[in-house]
Amino acid sequence: MAEERLDPEALSRLVSVGLEVGDESGLEVANLDFCLTALLGSPPFAGAVPVITRLHGDALRVTYFEVEDGRPED
Amino acid sequence: MAVRRIDVRERVMTRNDELAAGVRERLRQAGVVALNLVSSPGSGKTTLLECTLEQLGEELDIAVITGDVQTQNDADRLARRTTRLVQAVVTGGACHLDALQVETALGALDLERTRLLFIENVGNLVCPASWDLGEEAKVVVFSVTEGEDKPLKYPKMFQQSRYAVLNKIDLLPHLRFDLDQAVANARQVNPQLRLFFTSAITGEGMDQWYAFLREHSRAVAPA
Repeated sequence: MAEERLDPEALSRLVSVGLEVGDESGLEVANLDFCLTALLGSPPFAGAVPVITRLHGDALRVTYFEVEDGRPED
Repeated sequence: MAVRRIDVRERVMTRNDELAAGVRERLRQAGVVALNLVSSPGSGKTTLLECTLEQLGEELDIAVITGDVQTQNDADRLARRTTRLVQAVVTGGACHLDALQVETALGALDLERTRLLFIENVGNLVCPASWDLGEEAKVVVFSVTEGEDKPLKYPKMFQQSRYAVLNKIDLLPHLRFDLDQAVANARQVNPQLRLFFTSAITGEGMDQWYAFLREHSRAVAPA
């Protein structure tokens, strides 16, 4: 999903990935967190972290990407 | 450095669900009923299918797609019971089948000569509940050796399934398994669940299973 939505050069500047995971999604949040941390720590990524929000229900969605945009902070 | 947030709000399963919809339409056009067999490892899915293939393989033009993390053992076992094609999918570590794997496997099957397709999923009561494969229905298989609280521990799988097979009932005299409680637990999670009670070893309850498959595969005609 990140590769589809971000420019290739932005992938290494990905800082965090927001996800919403429902308690009936069928996923174990700790396992998902472990897998995503490993995935986002490997090229083309460079150490982005998953930020998982737990919800009721069966939601399982990516909510946002945060990317360092290369400009100094205001 | 400044950080820019890009809102996404996209379901993780979107791509899989699109593929599953394509598989479902392809099967509907061909008049094929697809049942996705899900269970924990060792519930007896493959033995149930071995018997089903022997009894109904030719009559109902059954084809099978098997999913295993490693090995083609299940596909090899089933292929010995039928002349019809058994298509193996080795997931290479993944704990479930996905719609792309099923779509690819369909390419090897002769759908014109198939009325009933079994998809034997990877043994796992968690992840396969979340993956639509384009099947008509999920059939959850659980056995009396697993404990009567399985439906309560894995509710999503039992909620997602339209049918349940409680297998290995020949072992009931040897176990402290409360059959009524197991049924009550399953109905608590999914009141609409239709249950079958089988022993693929002794044949007990298999006639009801076969009758269901006959009735079910007759109900669908090619579009």
